[in-house]
Amino acid sequence: MSAPGVSLHEALLQPGAHDLRRARTDWIMQRIFQVAAFLAVLPLFALVFYVTLRALPWLSPALLTNNPLDQQPGILNAVVGSLQMTALAILVTGPIGIAGGVYLSEFAPRRVAAIGELVIDIMLGIPSIVAGIFAFLVLVPILGFSGWAGSAALGVLTLPIVMRTTQEVMRLVPPSIREASLALGVPVWRTTLLVTVRTALPGVLTGLVLATSRSLGETAPLLMTARGTNAENFLDFGTTMNAMPIVIYQYANAADERSIGQAWATALVLMVIALLLNVLVRWRTVNSRVA
Amino acid sequence: MMLDMVSEKSKRAKAAVPAEQHQGSPATTPADQGGVLALGGVEAFYGSFRAVNNVSLEVQPRAVTALIGPSGCGKSTLLRTINRMHETIPGATVKGSITLDGIDLYDADVDAVRVRRVIGMVFQKPNPFPTMSIYENVAAGLRLLGRTPKSEMDGVVESSLRRAALWDEVKEKLKQPGTSLSGGQQQRLCIARAIAVQPRVLLMDEPCSALDPVATLKIEELIRELAADYTIVIVTHNMQQASRVSDSTAFFSMDENRAGYLVEAGPTPMIFTSPKESLTESYVAGRFG
Repeated sequence: MSAPGVSLHEALLQPGAHDLRRARTDWIMQRIFQVAAFLAVLPLFALVFYVTLRALPWLSPALLTNNPLDQQPGILNAVVGSLQMTALAILVTGPIGIAGGVYLSEFAPRRVAAIGELVIDIMLGIPSIVAGIFAFLVLVPILGFSGWAGSAALGVLTLPIVMRTTQEVMRLVPPSIREASLALGVPVWRTTLLVTVRTALPGVLTGLVLATSRSLGETAPLLMTARGTNAENFLDFGTTMNAMPIVIYQYANAADERSIGQAWATALVLMVIALLLNVLVRWRTVNSRVA
Repeated sequence: MMLDMVSEKSKRAKAAVPAEQHQGSPATTPADQGGVLALGGVEAFYGSFRAVNNVSLEVQPRAVTALIGPSGCGKSTLLRTINRMHETIPGATVKGSITLDGIDLYDADVDAVRVRRVIGMVFQKPNPFPTMSIYENVAAGLRLLGRTPKSEMDGVVESSLRRAALWDEVKEKLKQPGTSLSGGQQQRLCIARAIAVQPRVLLMDEPCSALDPVATLKIEELIRELAADYTIVIVTHNMQQASRVSDSTAFFSMDENRAGYLVEAGPTPMIFTSPKESLTESYVAGRFG
């Protein structure tokens, strides 16, 4: 690399102007990336900090144990409503999504898999308000404003998430693992369930949790289906049902300080539940990874 | 016919004539010991591409047969036709006949899943099940089939690990993940897993190519020992390995359409010292491939 006639000493030990320039460019580029990363997490921290700050004064045991019309108003029915509508949506779409993802990854002919992927990607891109208007104009006339309609609208949004993540993580299982099982004379269906799905399980669970936290935070489809209520609604899917995002939306629009405070508090509760879910799945995934 | 294929595992010959004695003595083994594998006009395809062309080969029972040849000459594909793994690849098909003790493995009455229980396989890269412990890996074949009582499992696992020369190294840590072992140990674990289901034939697809020389030597010793009980077919790129472990060697090459074909087969010493074909001679002398 050194030019003819240049001694090794000159080539290695005498820094020229362009060496200094290169060092400076390196430094500047690194700082640019650093600042970008900082800017990216800044709003996140600001948001968490501010929500916590505004919510703390309003957090009390009564908030979590009482309903809106009680002496000490609370958001119990909203927490219960959110959890049970999400649970129902995941209970139905989870198994279907996992099985569908397994089909696409393991059994579907190449062309079917490609079409399936495209359809799921389109579904993943459906804005939640579109799922909402679908539920509002198609499901509500049949089911009424109800927990059923709310769960169904959530299911439309969670199904593609579960299916896509399952398909992706199943694909990451090395073919050699499947072959090892097939070569032992294990039938295909047992290989798929007990070896391939088992190996991909941490990823499949991650998909379920992603879908769950997405579902917990959805607002638009619930405003158009479950509508919200002040009444207790434990397992009462037949009538309007309350949910945390609905409470946040409605209370934040109220005029009194107490309602606005409760909106902040509900936001914090929702955030903590979603965070706990994510931590849980992280912890499970790390612990079950055998490497 | 199928009953025959699965029930005979119980009377698998332990008596074990030393494998060397079989060398060059075609099919003179008593019928009850069995394990004679015969390939007749085997052709293997990926879609319309012919990867293996018209291979006929008699494999000696309870001896080691090495398949050698340059990369892409269809050795591994041929190996995978023997336990019907080839057909698990979409579009892959097989023509010709492969018989084990006279039973056509491609007969309409023979199920591929059953063939694979009788003909075990060890792969190029050690592939223990990552979610399973050492114990569970060995038990996997029987457990995934769900027919062996728990009480018998311990015995099967121990004897398989002993047979794979791994027991002493892992007996204290059977509950640890199979993937926690070294590469060579993992490969012996895979061998233990393969023999736990009591196959008649063991196929090995370059079983040492991912291992260091010491681990390779151990596997080679193990292959020699296993040859007392199993018909072994091994694909290898390493000609020294072929000459060290095998009793018979089959040399493959590629024709102008890139289809693999059998150049010649015979006792290993003959293939390596006085082959009939000049192509074989140049290959074993290291002049190509």
